[in-house]
Amino acid sequence: MRQRVAIVGGGLAGFTAYLTLRHAGVPADDVTVFSAERDPAGTFARRAAAIRQRRMRSESDGHCFPRSFPGLAVREAVRRRTVAPLLGTATNRYRPSLDWFLAHVAELRSRSGWDEIVIEERVERIRAADGGFLLDAHGPFAHVLVAPGHPGPAVPPELAGDRRVVHAYEPHEYAREVVVVGAGMAAATEWLNALEAGAAVTSVRRREPLRRPLNVERPLFTKRGLAAFQATTPARRAELLGELSAPSYPTGPAWDEPIDWAERHGRFRVEEHVNGAEQVICATGFLRGFQHNPLLAALVEDHDLPTLDRWIVLDEDSTVLSLSAPGRTLAVAGAPAQWAYPAADTLVGMKWAARRFARRVACRTR
Amino acid sequence: MSYTLRGRLESPLAAALVPALAAAVLAGALGEWWPLELVALMLAVGLVLDVTVYHRLIPYQPAWLAVPLGALELGLTMALVVTLGVGAPLGPAIALFAGAWLVAQLLGHAGFPLAHLTYAEDGGELGRAGRGLWATAPVALAASLGVAWALQPPTVRLEAGVHPGPLVLDRAQRLVGEPGAVVRGGIVVAADNVTVKNVSVVAGETGIAVQNAQNVVLDGVHVSGASLDGIQARRSQVTIRDCSVSAPASDYAQAIDISFAMELKPSVVEDCVISGGREGIVTNLANVMVRGNRVEGTALRAISLTEMSMGMIEGNVVRDANGVGIFCGDYSHCEIERNTVSGTRADTESGDPSRLGYAVQANFYARATVEANALSANPRAVGSFTGGTISAAGPR
Repeated sequence: MRQRVAIVGGGLAGFTAYLTLRHAGVPADDVTVFSAERDPAGTFARRAAAIRQRRMRSESDGHCFPRSFPGLAVREAVRRRTVAPLLGTATNRYRPSLDWFLAHVAELRSRSGWDEIVIEERVERIRAADGGFLLDAHGPFAHVLVAPGHPGPAVPPELAGDRRVVHAYEPHEYAREVVVVGAGMAAATEWLNALEAGAAVTSVRRREPLRRPLNVERPLFTKRGLAAFQATTPARRAELLGELSAPSYPTGPAWDEPIDWAERHGRFRVEEHVNGAEQVICATGFLRGFQHNPLLAALVEDHDLPTLDRWIVLDEDSTVLSLSAPGRTLAVAGAPAQWAYPAADTLVGMKWAARRFARRVACRTR
Repeated sequence: MSYTLRGRLESPLAAALVPALAAAVLAGALGEWWPLELVALMLAVGLVLDVTVYHRLIPYQPAWLAVPLGALELGLTMALVVTLGVGAPLGPAIALFAGAWLVAQLLGHAGFPLAHLTYAEDGGELGRAGRGLWATAPVALAASLGVAWALQPPTVRLEAGVHPGPLVLDRAQRLVGEPGAVVRGGIVVAADNVTVKNVSVVAGETGIAVQNAQNVVLDGVHVSGASLDGIQARRSQVTIRDCSVSAPASDYAQAIDISFAMELKPSVVEDCVISGGREGIVTNLANVMVRGNRVEGTALRAISLTEMSMGMIEGNVVRDANGVGIFCGDYSHCEIERNTVSGTRADTESGDPSRLGYAVQANFYARATVEANALSANPRAVGSFTGGTISAAGPR
């Protein structure tokens, strides 16, 4: 029997898509989610805990509600009876605490019936078939959203096998002398964590980090910037995406003052190569590109999908053009969807893809 | 948010619907057009800035920027209000602007995102509602203009020739006289929003009587031969400009008398020519602006604000008054500036020392401030009696 909608991946992108579908009037019974675990924030929470992240980098729109208003800032303002979150929103300085965000996900998870529609199973293969798509032995599903998340932590090849190495997103403590490899948000967070733990820190990086509030410029979150982005040639688009993925972290004294202090006291320095420190923390982000994700790699190979560098070439609404048609959709959300939406790996980006997916699903079912 | 150009047009247009509606209600309640004119100016200023400045210079607009941009738009709007002569009082105009701004912020941050799921990522565009807005905006504009036109008081043309009076105007209207139009026996205005323009009135007890009416304009009227008052306004708010009052038919006739209107907006008498009569311009218990008039040869005072009146007497030319030229009396407050008073006669026959030819006088606890008046050929320049005070205007 042909089933309606499947979401492959039950992380935040899949969860947001499910909530958006429900908001669009798609019954819960019509949706099946395939995920390695039931907790949509599980992976995110583990990684955040590993780097001791206390606040979200996202701003007011960084939540899982299908609607952008009221977001976490308004709800926090009401709950705490203070205008501080609203003022923070007005100045782009609202960063919800991790606990507040995780509580928000937990509440939505409980309220939305999420646990009832999740099948704890990792999908290995997606194949186009009559009436939609087969997901291993399941299906066919008319509409499928693939939200597999990041393929896994990236470790520089020269450090592979080094017993001192731990990835920033894996649980760890801090030795007395620590090398932090990388120059992005995770690296900056680890500098501060290690300094706070009393360690001496050596930052190893190939280039100086950029200082910007968000990785992606704000106009690229909306139609205005997207129109220009989507009008570029494929080669230029790949180049732009490469530029946007350059490591960066925000400006501000909360970042700079502890590092300046540590530098003056000989506890922070920058070097080009890993030295003989007791511990090497790779804050080098995630593996990049569809090639590192077995499911996406197989999808590309099985269906001969167009790709460029590390991206699957997607249509403007984040669908795979050659596999989508009236009545059937194969769409991508989360990090692998950056070809359509540069900030696809943010909560706003996840919602962006989810809304377009929901539009196609709801449109075909009415 | 990063607005698209279309978003910059659709969002303020949609947000303007609420203040436009409020302004329409307010305009109806007040019987004045300034609320609608103000909202139209606000919208025009906002849209012009959006298209020509903001869209180019502000690719991303954080929420806080709405405050300085709002202040800029308020300044420009109020400048246009002054330049274009929109009769919007400052306080209510700012309140209306602030209310409209607040509504726009609430809609932009809450209302529109609730109504249109992809509002933010669409750069302020409103989707189908936005397209509907584009379709209905011209219709709404045309409808507004049509309603405005329909609500305008009718214009009545008074043909050349002599028409028997009294004419009683008891509905809002514009009575416009063609050259040579004369009413014999007076005009009575007994309704709000009446304009009488280019009409001559002769004879009658009172030339033009305005009773319990507001927003009345007497423009270019000429009154002669009245036996009591040339123009008389009681419990009314009236603007009298470019008028003439002459040849009174009795020794007791006054030219212009505005009385018992303290709680109403100020009445205005400007650019009128008055000759003869007992008193020229006299007010009792009224707010008035008396400016740019020429008053000559009165049997008593030329300009007189009394009985707790308040107002300005500015830029008038007073000649040949009897006893006192400009008089501020009986607890009134008067600002007397840049007037020319000459040839005041001393009224020795009255035996009253306060009538011995004062150009300017404050009497019976009245307070007058004076500045830059030209006083010449008067027996006495200024004087105060019975608790009245005259002081020079302070620096401004």
